Amino acid sequence: MAEIRLETLAHRYSPGGTYALKPLDMIWRSGGTYALLGPSGCGKSTMLNIISGLIRPSEGRVLFDGQDVTAFDTGRRRIAQVFQVPVIYRSMTVGQNLGFPLVCQGVPAAHRRKRVEAIAERLGLTGALNRPANALTADQKQLVSLGRGLVRDDVAAILLDEPLTVIDPQQKFELRRILKEINAEFGVTMVLVTHDQTEAMTFAEEVIVMNTGEVVQAGSPRDLFERPLTRHVGSFIGAPAMNFLPATAQGGAAVVPGTGLSMPLPEGAGSALSLGFRPEHARLATADAILSGTVTRLWFEGLDEIIAIRHPAGEIRLRAPAGTGLVPGDTAGIALDPGRLRLYLDDRLMA
Amino acid sequence: MYRQKYIFLLPGLLVLIAVILFPLLFTIRVSFSSWDVYNPGLNNAGGAMYARMWEDARYWEALWRLSLLSVSTVLIQYVLGFALALLVWREIAARRFFRVLFLVPMMTTPVVMSVIWRTIFHESLGPLNPILNAIGIGAQPWLSQPGFAFAAVMIVEIWQWTPFMFLLLLAGLLSLPSEPYLAAKVDGAGPIRTFLSVTFPMMGAISVGAILIRAIEASKIMETVYVLTSGGPGTSTETVSYYIYIRGMRDFQIGYSAALSLTYLIIMAVALTLIAKALMRLMVRGANA
Repeated sequence: MAEIRLETLAHRYSPGGTYALKPLDMIWRSGGTYALLGPSGCGKSTMLNIISGLIRPSEGRVLFDGQDVTAFDTGRRRIAQVFQVPVIYRSMTVGQNLGFPLVCQGVPAAHRRKRVEAIAERLGLTGALNRPANALTADQKQLVSLGRGLVRDDVAAILLDEPLTVIDPQQKFELRRILKEINAEFGVTMVLVTHDQTEAMTFAEEVIVMNTGEVVQAGSPRDLFERPLTRHVGSFIGAPAMNFLPATAQGGAAVVPGTGLSMPLPEGAGSALSLGFRPEHARLATADAILSGTVTRLWFEGLDEIIAIRHPAGEIRLRAPAGTGLVPGDTAGIALDPGRLRLYLDDRLMA
Repeated sequence: MYRQKYIFLLPGLLVLIAVILFPLLFTIRVSFSSWDVYNPGLNNAGGAMYARMWEDARYWEALWRLSLLSVSTVLIQYVLGFALALLVWREIAARRFFRVLFLVPMMTTPVVMSVIWRTIFHESLGPLNPILNAIGIGAQPWLSQPGFAFAAVMIVEIWQWTPFMFLLLLAGLLSLPSEPYLAAKVDGAGPIRTFLSVTFPMMGAISVGAILIRAIEASKIMETVYVLTSGGPGTSTETVSYYIYIRGMRDFQIGYSAALSLTYLIIMAVALTLIAKALMRLMVRGANA
C-alpha cells in the first residue's frame, strides 16, 4: 500500500545505447489500479521490472511513499510480481508456496500459518493447501503467484506482467474479477502490464499507453477513447480502430476533400493534417450524410454490425445496430456529431 | 487388413533376434554346462555352476566392492559436476572454455588414460609422490595397499566422468526458465534458498537421468581396474566384470563365467531399476502428481 513515484526515470540496457525507456515522471497513488499498455518491445515490461527492482534503472529514481528504493533489492521492496507464465515452486505444496515469502523473511511459523490460511481462504484455495502446487491448473497457479504477494502484511504494490495471457478466456474473466476485488479490499496499488486493450481498459482507472520506450498518453480509459493524443493511440485503442482521413487547409479550416468533414484550423498550422472520429460516434444517414461511399465489408458483432465504407478519401468503419440490411456494393451515407471530430497535425491531437 | 506389413518388419526382427536374443539364449544354455579348458563343449551340468557360484566368496565380494565403487564415484561425480556447472552457469566465456576443456577426459580411451594414471601413481617413478612429499603430506603406497589402490581407482573414475555430469547438468541449467528465479528474488529468497527451492527441484529429472546413465556405465567398470591395478593388490580392487573376465578369458571356464554373467546381469537390472524408482521418488517430486 504505497504511492509509487517515478522521477526522471529512464533506462538503457547498454551505456550510450538507445533508450529502452525514455525519461519520464509519474505518480501512482496508493491503492490505485494502473495499466501499462503497448505493443511488444515498447518498454512496458522494462518499466515494471525497474519498479520491482529486477532491473536497476540507468537514470532517475523510484520512490515508494517518498522513500527512495532505487538501490533496494527486490526482496526489500515489499512488492509482489505475477509473471506471464505462472510461477510456482514445484517441489512444494500450495500452502508452502504461499508461505515462502514469509519463510524468507523469517516470520514465526504460527503467524505464517495464520496468514497463509487467510489468503488461501480469500483466493478460494483452502481445499488445495496440502496438494502439490504442480498439480494445479494454470489459473489456480496464477492465484498462488498472486497469493505469495498478498501473504505479506506489508505488501507495497502488486505488479502484474501480462498475467492473463496463458489463462483460458473463461478463467480470465474470473481472475480479473478477483484482482479487482482484492484491490478494493486490501487497498493495494496494482500495476498491470498488458498488450490487450480490453484488459487494460476494464481493469485500470488509469491507462498508460506506451510506444517505442515512451509514454504516449496516460489517462482514464474514457479519456483515451474520446481524446486520443496521437493517431497511434487512436488506432491502438478501440475496436475497430479510430477512422483517420487526410485533410487539407482551406480558408482557415481543415477539410477532407469530397466530404462534409471540416474543422476550424488554428493559426499557423500547416501540412500533414488529418481528421479522426470513432466508428462508434458515426451513424448511418441519408438526408444529413456528410460523406457517402460503397459498402465493402460487414462484420457481425452480436447486437452491432461493423460496416466498412470506401470513399475516395479512404476507408471508413462505423459501428451500427445490427439489422441494417446492407450488403457489400450498396451505397451508404454517414452522419457525425461535429463535437466528436478530432483534428490531428503531424499525428498529434490539435483540437 | 494390410497383413503384408509384417513382411516389412521381418528383416529388422531377424537382425534383432540374431544380435540380441541368440547370444542371450546361448549364454543361458552355456551356463548350464561345465564347459572349460579340459572339457570343452556343451554338456548338461544342471545347476552345478550356480551352486558353485553361491559358494564363491570372491564373486560376492567383487559384487559388493563394485556397488561401493559405483555408488560412491557416481555420487561424487554428481556433486562435483553440479558444483562446477553452477559455477560457470552464468559466465558465458567460462562456459565455453570449460565445455571444451572438459571433453578431453571423456574422449580419451579409458585404457590410455589408465596407463597415464598408473604412471602418475607409480610409487617410485611417478610424479605424484614427490609432489605430495614436497607439500608435506608424504608419499603414499598408491597401488600396493588395498585401501589406497581402491582410492586410486575411484580418483581415476571421478576424474574421467565428472565432466560428463558437468556437461549434462550445465545443459539442464541452461534450459531452465528465468521466471522462477525472478519470483524467488521478489519473494526475498537468498542464494541458498533459491538453490534448494528453485534450482534443485527443477533439475530433478535431468539429475536422475545423468545419475542413471553414469550408474549403468559404472556398474560395468573394467578397463580402469585392469590397467591400473589388475584387481590387486590381492583381490582388493577386483570388480565383477573383471572377475568374470579372469574366469572366462584367463581360466577359460566358459560355463562358470556364463553363470556369473547371467547372475550379474539380473542383479544389475533389478538393482538399477530399484535405484531408478527410488531416485524418481526422491528427486522428481511433484512431477508425477
